[in-house]
Amino acid sequence: MKLHEKILTHYLSCTSPVDKEGYLYKKKERNASYQRRWFVLKANLLFYQERPADRHLQGVIVLEGCAVRRSESDGQFALSLAFEGTGLKTYRFAAVDRQTQESWVKALLSASHCYLSLLVRDLERQYDEAKQQQSSAGSHHRSSVGALKQSPPTSVFLPAPGPAAAVRETRSFSASAVLQAPSTATRVAAKKSPKLWPRRNALVTPLNGPAPSYGEWPLVGFDSLEEFSKLHDYYGQEVRKAREDWLSGRRAREEGDLIDLG
Amino acid sequence: MRFNEKELVSLSRQPSEMAAELGMRGPKKGDVVKKRLVKLVVNFLFYFRTDEEEPIGALLLEQCRVEREDSQSFSITFLDEAERKYLFECDSEEQCGEWMDSIIKASYEFMRKNLIFYRTEIHRLTGKDPLEQYGISDETRFQVSNGLQLAPSATSSL
Repeated sequence: MKLHEKILTHYLSCTSPVDKEGYLYKKKERNASYQRRWFVLKANLLFYQERPADRHLQGVIVLEGCAVRRSESDGQFALSLAFEGTGLKTYRFAAVDRQTQESWVKALLSASHCYLSLLVRDLERQYDEAKQQQSSAGSHHRSSVGALKQSPPTSVFLPAPGPAAAVRETRSFSASAVLQAPSTATRVAAKKSPKLWPRRNALVTPLNGPAPSYGEWPLVGFDSLEEFSKLHDYYGQEVRKAREDWLSGRRAREEGDLIDLG
Repeated sequence: MRFNEKELVSLSRQPSEMAAELGMRGPKKGDVVKKRLVKLVVNFLFYFRTDEEEPIGALLLEQCRVEREDSQSFSITFLDEAERKYLFECDSEEQCGEWMDSIIKASYEFMRKNLIFYRTEIHRLTGKDPLEQYGISDETRFQVSNGLQLAPSATSSL
């Protein structure tokens, strides 16, 4: 299959911000050795190259359909990307310290398109609710002046024009520049929800249980709020555990120091 | 550049609402319209020869321009280069509109902008940062804009 690489490299170098970058050790598949690589995470794409200044990109990993895990069994500060499905890879990495490991795990957990789409749907629902509550409180605001509940008007900076100002061009849309009015998005979502998004979500699988076999991911009666909370809980468990382990590790080291001084 | 091909092919096989046989013409001079199974999965547009299991190719739908060409066809231009303009012929005006809409909304950057908009508005309307409950308020990818911060409120900060 041909992946049009220039589109990816162009996207990497364009003005939208990078989500995370830094050194990680990547485990080679054949022997068990690790090679230090510079990783750049943008959207659901994880690029890597030998050094940050290199013009040549060595590779990219598309982050859909994989489980992100701390994997201490692989070694200290290790993490992995396990793609779910027969014959699919698991990428293994190691960070230099706990903080780097935790930070990468967290960033990779929220990197997928599926995750973002669930999150956006959830926030869209919260936004509609908040607007309804506001209008039932008896005030109608079209500008960005704050609601009655807040005293100073909050100045809001948006990178793109707000919905009132968004102009729907009849001939062309620029995917990178036009922010659609939320009411339009709601209408479309209501018309197609939940089918607008892929019905099988590879990431709504419990991290701590056996992965369902490929093709069996359930998404019957898809409810964005319910699903996102579940998703958040699954990932939250991993992050919480990482934090707890790190904290208990730190405490243990401190106690050790006290004993040494005593 | 290496990429996780097997995994991407596996992704292309996931069920998708937007999958149809369209006429597709590549960007190069001399390219003709060919019947292809075109499938939108996350922010990738895969295209297959009809009845083949593995896609011929995958196009990342970021930094691209989607334009109506005529009543039943649209184009996608990458890198702002005419040499990278793909044409798609649909069966109806309605189908054409649906595809254009879906492709635009599938872009990660488009979704990110929506997220930031909702986050900002919810904070303005309720005083709360909706990302706090998910523990992702400080993730770089969800920040409001290029380092610019909202005026901090008493209850939360973005």
